[in-house]
Amino acid sequence: MAAPLDSSQPRLAAGCRWGGSDVDRVILFPEGAIKLQGTGRQVLERCDGQRTFGEIITELQKQFGDADPDKIRADITMFLEQLQRKRIVDY
Amino acid sequence: MTPNPLALIAEVTHRCPLHCVYCSNPLQLAGTESELSTEQWTSVFQQSGKLGMLHAHFTGGEPLARQDLTELIAAARAAGLYTNLITSGIGLGEQRLAALVAAGLDHIQISFQDSREGPANWIAGAKAHAHKIELSRVIRRHKVAFTVNLVVHRQNLDHLEEMIAFIEQLNPDRVEIAHTQYYGWALANRAALMPTRAQIEAAVKIVAAAEKRLAGRVRIDSVVPDYYAKYPKACMGGWGRRLMLINPAGKVLPCHAAEVIPGMTFENVREKTLEWIWRESASFCRFRGEDWMPEPCRSCDRRAEDFGGCRCQAFLLAADATVTDPACSLAPTHGIVEAAVREANSDMGAAQARPATSFVQLQQETAELWDYRINPE
Repeated sequence: MAAPLDSSQPRLAAGCRWGGSDVDRVILFPEGAIKLQGTGRQVLERCDGQRTFGEIITELQKQFGDADPDKIRADITMFLEQLQRKRIVDY
Repeated sequence: MTPNPLALIAEVTHRCPLHCVYCSNPLQLAGTESELSTEQWTSVFQQSGKLGMLHAHFTGGEPLARQDLTELIAAARAAGLYTNLITSGIGLGEQRLAALVAAGLDHIQISFQDSREGPANWIAGAKAHAHKIELSRVIRRHKVAFTVNLVVHRQNLDHLEEMIAFIEQLNPDRVEIAHTQYYGWALANRAALMPTRAQIEAAVKIVAAAEKRLAGRVRIDSVVPDYYAKYPKACMGGWGRRLMLINPAGKVLPCHAAEVIPGMTFENVREKTLEWIWRESASFCRFRGEDWMPEPCRSCDRRAEDFGGCRCQAFLLAADATVTDPACSLAPTHGIVEAAVREANSDMGAAQARPATSFVQLQQETAELWDYRINPE
């Protein structure tokens, strides 16, 4: 699988969903769970199947105004690619 | 303080339409009359959610044999648990599946015995294969994660590549390739099930190639059989560390097989709370941590990785639940496993699948090879 396109609409894969408490939010999936904090949580909360990958990047670049926008894009791309390989995210 | 358990294994019934020769259920099955009620299971799920558990694995027997399964799934989901149904699929059509998904079923796992119909039905002791294929197509029309579980052993490993190709066209999200583990019925039938070293070595290569080829499309999880490993498996992630299993009668166990260990008393959810059982009961504390460990575990660098291996296997093979798992190459009793491996490699033959017109005939024709799992009273 290739990296997401700007027009891709990332979403949680079938059988993957949010769980846990508001403080300890986790993504639940077959045979596992990942605790999400900070940026990872902010990225995944935007993977709602509506926003495009391009929009998610723009939103987070705005939010982290002082960080290098190219690095933000590279980090989010890698993060979503990893989750796609684990069959947690589709795009 | 003891960390919270992560997952509940809910053995909701021991009834099953299949008779798989490698069934992990105990030889002593819980009868129908002893099964917990809907209300009792609902309380179990609520307690599990409060204890911080994340997953509820519905298994059996065949969970679909419970007429109240939809209610049970809804109760587990309402308690905040991720719900996984481990099933043969017998008793499931589109309508019941839709009801289960609407009730909050997150993940369904169907076991296949083989890619070929004759051998699959021969292992299961029932005509189930064709229905499972049909059901897999139905599952993909619903919003639920789909895992195919394939149990591998001496009788089917020679065509593992074909089996993986077969599973691939069922289009699951995930595949579990599970080497038979020798407990319950599988231990009784070990001679017919244990693979040769050559089969294991070929399987490792085939699985690695499939993982690479299917990356991003199908996740493959496979477990190496411990008889051929250098070190034992971290059974259940350690005794009383991650999981609680509740059997159909409400007995709370640290694993599927624990009841075989003599001299142990296991609590029942009818009498005690899950929290008390997890934190305080003698059974869950018995092999938790490192205080119980003998040498060579006690001074071994791996003791926090494999926890001395499996207590049930230590008892089943070496007649002592407190010794190092005989599967460990460092165990004083490792000769027991070496002898089983030698025996499995001394005769190369796999048996021929036998067709039969009835289960009784199948039992008679295969009596020298293995015993089929039978149903509880």
